[in-house]
Amino acid sequence: MAYVAIADRDTHLHDPQSWVTKYVWSQDHKVIAIQYGSVAILVGLLALVLSLFMRLQIGFPDTFSFITPYRYYQFVTMHGMIMVIYLLTALFLGGFGNYLIPLMCGARDMVFPYMNMLSFWVYLLSVIILVASFFAPDGPTGAGWTLYPPQAVLEGTPGANWGIVLMLVSLAVFIVAFTMGGLNYVTTVLQARCRGMTLMRMPLSVWGIFVATILGLLAFPALLVSAIMLLLDHTLGTSFFMPALMSMGEQSDHEGGSPILFQHLFWFFGHPEVYIVALPAFGIVSDLLATHARKNIFGYRMMVWAIVAIGALSFVVWAHHMYVSGMNPYFGFFFATTTLIIAIPTAIKVYNWILTLWRGDIHLTLPNLFAIGFIFTFVHGGLTGLFLGNVTVDLPLSDTYFVIGHFHMVMGVSPVMVLFGAIYHWFPKITGKMPNMTLGKIHFWMTFLGTYAIYLPMHYLGILGMPRRYYAYGQSDFLPDSAHTVNEAITIAAIVVATAQVIFIINVILSLWKGEKAPENPWRATTLEWQTPTTPPPHGNWGPKLPVVYRWAYDYSVPGADKDYIPQNEPPKGQPAAA
Amino acid sequence: MMTAMVIAMLTAITVWWLLIQRLREKPWTHQGVATGSQENRTASAPHVGLWVFLAVVTSLFGLFASAYVMRMHAHSGVVHWHPLTEPRVLWVNTAVLVLASAALQRARNAAVRTDLDTLRTFFPLGGALTVLFLLGQVWAWRELAVTGLYDRTDPAYAFFILLTAVHGVHLLGGLVVLGRASARIWRGLSRDNVVAVAKARQSVELCTVYWHCLLLIWLGLFALLLST
Repeated sequence: MAYVAIADRDTHLHDPQSWVTKYVWSQDHKVIAIQYGSVAILVGLLALVLSLFMRLQIGFPDTFSFITPYRYYQFVTMHGMIMVIYLLTALFLGGFGNYLIPLMCGARDMVFPYMNMLSFWVYLLSVIILVASFFAPDGPTGAGWTLYPPQAVLEGTPGANWGIVLMLVSLAVFIVAFTMGGLNYVTTVLQARCRGMTLMRMPLSVWGIFVATILGLLAFPALLVSAIMLLLDHTLGTSFFMPALMSMGEQSDHEGGSPILFQHLFWFFGHPEVYIVALPAFGIVSDLLATHARKNIFGYRMMVWAIVAIGALSFVVWAHHMYVSGMNPYFGFFFATTTLIIAIPTAIKVYNWILTLWRGDIHLTLPNLFAIGFIFTFVHGGLTGLFLGNVTVDLPLSDTYFVIGHFHMVMGVSPVMVLFGAIYHWFPKITGKMPNMTLGKIHFWMTFLGTYAIYLPMHYLGILGMPRRYYAYGQSDFLPDSAHTVNEAITIAAIVVATAQVIFIINVILSLWKGEKAPENPWRATTLEWQTPTTPPPHGNWGPKLPVVYRWAYDYSVPGADKDYIPQNEPPKGQPAAA
Repeated sequence: MMTAMVIAMLTAITVWWLLIQRLREKPWTHQGVATGSQENRTASAPHVGLWVFLAVVTSLFGLFASAYVMRMHAHSGVVHWHPLTEPRVLWVNTAVLVLASAALQRARNAAVRTDLDTLRTFFPLGGALTVLFLLGQVWAWRELAVTGLYDRTDPAYAFFILLTAVHGVHLLGGLVVLGRASARIWRGLSRDNVVAVAKARQSVELCTVYWHCLLLIWLGLFALLLST
């Protein structure tokens, strides 16, 4: 059966529905996207608060009695895991993947809408299990977001009984949810593109989400394998990862397990995870820059190849997270080399973004501010990655604040900048209302400058040798008093950045409530999602007839054209629309 | 090593697929309705979805197998890996799973010919043989348990239980789908109802592909277990 029949099938799915099936048990990809996005942002706010608690302790030790060492490690762990998995992965793929793929590909919906709906509800279940660990007798796990055994399951680590079990179960459930969603995203891109939409006409947002989903589908099983085996070590007393050891003065029942095996499995997932988050950001930022600079993306083909190359290379760099775990020096050399090679396609992308802006008609709109901000933060975080990719440089910097500064810039702040840019960019399409630009610009500048104030000094602290994951530093020879002053300043900057996020939430609520009505295509964009018959698009997206695509997604400022953009579904001059 | 091989294979498939999709196209050079987009696409979405899922399943078992091999060599010379004496019933089980796959293939061929009688016999038969396989796996667990030779901290034993259990869970999931499809096929499916026959044919085809893949995975796991 040819694809078109699947995408254009006239089933009950697109009929008017009850309130419950429309907004709760919805099979509409747009509603599911909003559900995913809302839950991800809510749980992300929780992680933000946890990070503030951490910063309060580091900046002003012995001031807040409720931040005990036990709780501090729980905050560290939950902040990291929530941000990486439950916020960034879920929001980029579950949120924007769901919203953009069918609309940008010209489909009515995902190809498996029921499974798509299940994906969200299973994701919600994983979040509930995770949050439930806050109410467990020993609280959530405090093992650090990497959950390394043996300490993750040993007495003395916070949440070593219930917390770690709930975390592992939650991760397993999340992976099930992701797999259901991921199958949908990949299959929809392959099977449900409208007529004329070849792969090389797809917007880079779809390319980024598509390749990131493939990475996720192949990499998340490594996390599942490690979670299952760690769970069995903890609950049934197997010895996959747990070595023979003395704990609390007693010989444990385990023998011969390999903690390093866990690290290999974890990072075989963990490194592609960086790109699961980064590739959608790369794609989306490309579209934002082209649209708001009114210029075709520079080097489209190279951008696609770079996304694919980065995705493939991301599977052969994982052990650069394990230089200090001990490995054959030749392995270190191999992983350092692959890590540096991955910089080549990444640098190509950065050059292409800058060349897209070069001599463009740059509009400093809100989405574009965030997109340009992303280029700064990403280049910054990427360059420090080159330091850490080298074994000899990494060894002294490992487990210091230099690492914290690096990965927060490259996979914390940078993707978040894109997320905000994307939210502001597609807000008019999703809600039918324009966001408040003044509040948005305040949000941008506070976030952009604030995050620099947080993470730039951390590199300095790391070079001084300030170790990460310490509850308190006290007096030490290698940390001068000025380091403590810097820590206070960082904490104040963190509070400012957190306040900026409150402004963002207020903006969303205010704009939804009293926002100006959005035009159909406020950014004069070429891609299909802006060409729907109504805004927000109804269930089924396109009315009676699917769009037909005649051109690529970047026909901006075409010489001789009537206007400075030509939508993808506009036929070439003098040609009639396809039947 | 095995993981690297699996990844290399999947990457090769991806690159091959991308090449044939004409990634060298220069989309900015021409306008108009491009040829080679959806019109000549023949695979249905469920088929593609299943193949993507099977890639995920293969990745999962490839990683379990990698973990098995790495754990085996993790402390060679310090802590012994006690090789398992695999129960003989595993050979019988393997033969039963091969028969199950063969029965489903026969059912699939019958579905293509719209030979409903053969379909009604062989499709559920494939399911019944799979149930037999799973019972045989439980029997193998029991055989190992009653020897009293193996302890839960023994990694070879723990891996044996884990790998067979995860494989069994995948088959159980398949059995749920197969059971529902069997019920549809038995409940008044007539040759005249073209839509229902096409739907049944698709279900049978998808189940058959899934079963063949899980058979291949089991053969790989069995070979791994026997060789260590």
